[in-house]
Amino acid sequence: MIKPDPRELSTILDRLCRRRDFLKLFGKGLGYSAVASTLTACGGGGGGSDPIQQPPAPVIPQASAGYTVLKRTSFGARRDALATLETLGIDAYLEQQLDYTRIDDGDLEASIQTLFPLTTQSPAQLVGGFPDNIAGVAQQMIAAVQYRQIFSRRQLYEVMVEFWTDHFNIHLLNGLGPTLKPEDDRQVIRTHALGNFRDLLHASAKSPSMLFYLDNFLNQAAAPNENYARELMELHTLGVDGGYSESDVKEVARCFTGWSIRFPGDPGGEYGTFVFVPALHDNNAKVVLQQAVPAGGGQSDGEQVLDFLATHPSTARFIATKLCRRFIRDNPDAASIDAVAAAFTQSSGDIKAALRALFATEAFRSSSDLKLCRPSEYLAGVIRALAPDTPYPTDNGQLFLFAQAIMGQVPYYWPTPDGYPDTQSYWDSTGGLLNRWRLSFLSFANLIPSIDVIQLDYADLLNGADTLAGIVDALTDSILMRPLSDTDRAYLLDWLVSEYGQAADAALPLGTPEAVAPLVTAVLLSSAYFQLR
Amino acid sequence: MVNGGTQRFPASATLPADRDILVCIFQRGAADGLNTVVPYGDSDYYARRSTIAVPAPGMAGGAIDLDGFFGLHPALGPLKPIYDAGDLALVHATGMPHGSRSHFTAQGLVERGVTDKAGPTSGWLGRHLSLLASASNSAFRVVAISGNVPVSLTGANEPLAISNLNDFGFDQDIIDSGYPTVLANLFRSPVPFSATAEAALSAMDELQAANLSAITPDNGAVYPDTALGKKLLQVGQLIKSTLAVEVICLDADGWDHHENLPTYIQGSLAELADAVSAFHTDMGAQMQRIVVLVHTEFGRRVAENASAGTDHGTGSLAYLFGGGVNGGQVVSSWPGLATANLEMGEDLKITTDLRTVLSELLGKRLGGSDAGIVFPGFSGPLSANLFLG
Repeated sequence: MIKPDPRELSTILDRLCRRRDFLKLFGKGLGYSAVASTLTACGGGGGGSDPIQQPPAPVIPQASAGYTVLKRTSFGARRDALATLETLGIDAYLEQQLDYTRIDDGDLEASIQTLFPLTTQSPAQLVGGFPDNIAGVAQQMIAAVQYRQIFSRRQLYEVMVEFWTDHFNIHLLNGLGPTLKPEDDRQVIRTHALGNFRDLLHASAKSPSMLFYLDNFLNQAAAPNENYARELMELHTLGVDGGYSESDVKEVARCFTGWSIRFPGDPGGEYGTFVFVPALHDNNAKVVLQQAVPAGGGQSDGEQVLDFLATHPSTARFIATKLCRRFIRDNPDAASIDAVAAAFTQSSGDIKAALRALFATEAFRSSSDLKLCRPSEYLAGVIRALAPDTPYPTDNGQLFLFAQAIMGQVPYYWPTPDGYPDTQSYWDSTGGLLNRWRLSFLSFANLIPSIDVIQLDYADLLNGADTLAGIVDALTDSILMRPLSDTDRAYLLDWLVSEYGQAADAALPLGTPEAVAPLVTAVLLSSAYFQLR
Repeated sequence: MVNGGTQRFPASATLPADRDILVCIFQRGAADGLNTVVPYGDSDYYARRSTIAVPAPGMAGGAIDLDGFFGLHPALGPLKPIYDAGDLALVHATGMPHGSRSHFTAQGLVERGVTDKAGPTSGWLGRHLSLLASASNSAFRVVAISGNVPVSLTGANEPLAISNLNDFGFDQDIIDSGYPTVLANLFRSPVPFSATAEAALSAMDELQAANLSAITPDNGAVYPDTALGKKLLQVGQLIKSTLAVEVICLDADGWDHHENLPTYIQGSLAELADAVSAFHTDMGAQMQRIVVLVHTEFGRRVAENASAGTDHGTGSLAYLFGGGVNGGQVVSSWPGLATANLEMGEDLKITTDLRTVLSELLGKRLGGSDAGIVFPGFSGPLSANLFLG
């Protein structure tokens, strides 16, 4: 088995981040005091299960209901998307997003085929170039995520793709992972993200990428490997309090003995396909969650387990809780969880039905600003607000990768099977906040020739404003899309008046508004207004 | 509220005389203690690990003898001089009896210092720090070298979380423009994240004054160019700076070796030993006032699996470095590896509760905060003769 040292692999992304001199890229005075970036695995193992203190009631004016819905179901508000939502109404907008196959994203998907061809290849194709292609696969997989999160019109679908990518997390740079994860991404996550949970679970269990990552491909009757069995119940279905025992872990592991993947030269199929090896399967009877699995079931033992788990009430509750945590707040209310779990159960695991129930809850409809957006939402949100029509960057996403790396959320790079945390208590650290402030200086992209990766034009965002007060108000409208408090507006204006020596409502010389706009924009992007949802 | 820089100064770097600086390294992923400090004197070890066992001292690739019963994995060679000098104690068959084999649940429980979910949600270090009076108003009193605050520090007053100290801050002309003051105003209390923002702004000021990048390793120490090496280099800079640092937490990742354990643990242990020994050299005499604690969430199964790895288990190992450590010994009431002596018939038993180790650490080296509050429900023992003082 080729399983390179994970510490060597971690240097690949490290090098990707260093390839360009980001100090030069951002120029003097833009907050890039140093360029060294390290990809850390980001900290605490916690953040997930402990009860979370709710933030105090926001002291900033509430955003509109439409803005909040948009922010919670996308990677950041775009002005045209907000206009569409306001025209259609919230319900019709969400239905349109759920019916994602009817939203034309053909141009974007065609670009991905052209720009990131390694993401479309099979394990058999990718293993031919392995291990020399590891960096290429990583770069293209990550860039495709950025591309879709920023530019896709199927925003809710991409949110759910990210949700399930975390739920069924697989570290890309894990041994043979680079040859296997691209297909898992296509055939498991993207195929079923808004489909049926049972289908998603079966696909994941038979995914060579998952079989490899959680060692199930090594699981044999003689000495079972429990890694997949435990995480299947703890992370993929029942949840850690879902009512299984240590004995169940062992029994489930026995049910999955003999599940493996084909290696080059193996009979019956090409590399990187699922295979059941009867000789390695424990054919004796098992008992899983008090249910008998009769002897002699072969491959169907594991399939029966997946069906038990997919339909178990604890699974409905666990998935419902995670969905409410994603779309509403860290500690969702019981009524919302109950409603989503009921819809999940009644529809036999239909993910759209569960989301419809969630979108109908009182908590989703009438609250706002309950959660800090994650780094992926922050980064895509900055581009979607500032330069929604910028072409995909010519640097193959390296600037964005740098941003993701310093904020600690590089796609497919979370090392453990639980996926990136979805609680604000994890993300609202001092370092996390500072890095968002640093990245807010992307607002200066139009002034620095070396930043050719974002085409940013303030004329449109300023909408003709030619006074300091006008600039603050225009950028508040076009970038935040929600009102500032009178106090905050006054703070900002007082600062600009002293900084530029101009009265708030004095007409500024030609060209000055465009020179003032980047600093004001950086402040707005740094604020809680932009980062809450 | 933070006002434009004038009220934010580095605090004096004085730690009360009754306290050491604590560096807490969490081995994420359940580190295998049995192939780290090898019980080569227990024949059941070799019976149950016929493929992956580390040979006895004197054999090819054999362990480095410590006391006639235990030996160090050869990759831990750099730690042997520290052990011999009395600056390293190893606690075997330790852990917290939380009964969980889930990484995520167990890490949470260990970091909270409790054995079941009903306990307080704050971290054990957070409770310890909140009990101690501190004259320090430095943002650097409690630091995680990480993008995020670990659970163990929850409950402490605004722990800093910084993954790269050299990268933390704004350029001078941004500061001169008044930008930090505008941020401080926009994040005034009770705006969400106001405390985080204030801590970040204060930290930036203190860091700028401390000029860490000018602080280089002493005594010929060479930190390895690894994730842990880079972190410990920064820990060393922090301790030698004017910043009033008291507790620093960091992670050593990648210990979940379900397959091919001999290869993977070799790399993981070498990274740990090289980084910690460089830190020990760099600190020199300052190690008299430093304790380095290395521990994990639980140990691994005694018997190997079919993949030359080990599955999740119970008892494991903790390391304690420092001048105040009663070092040069493996502290263990060895439970034995015969089936009848194993936890649930398959795991190394815990015979020294990790809370015993931590309680003694608090009492003798960290200012004596009340172990009954830091570890609610724990009845002792409160010492295992691990520390001086």
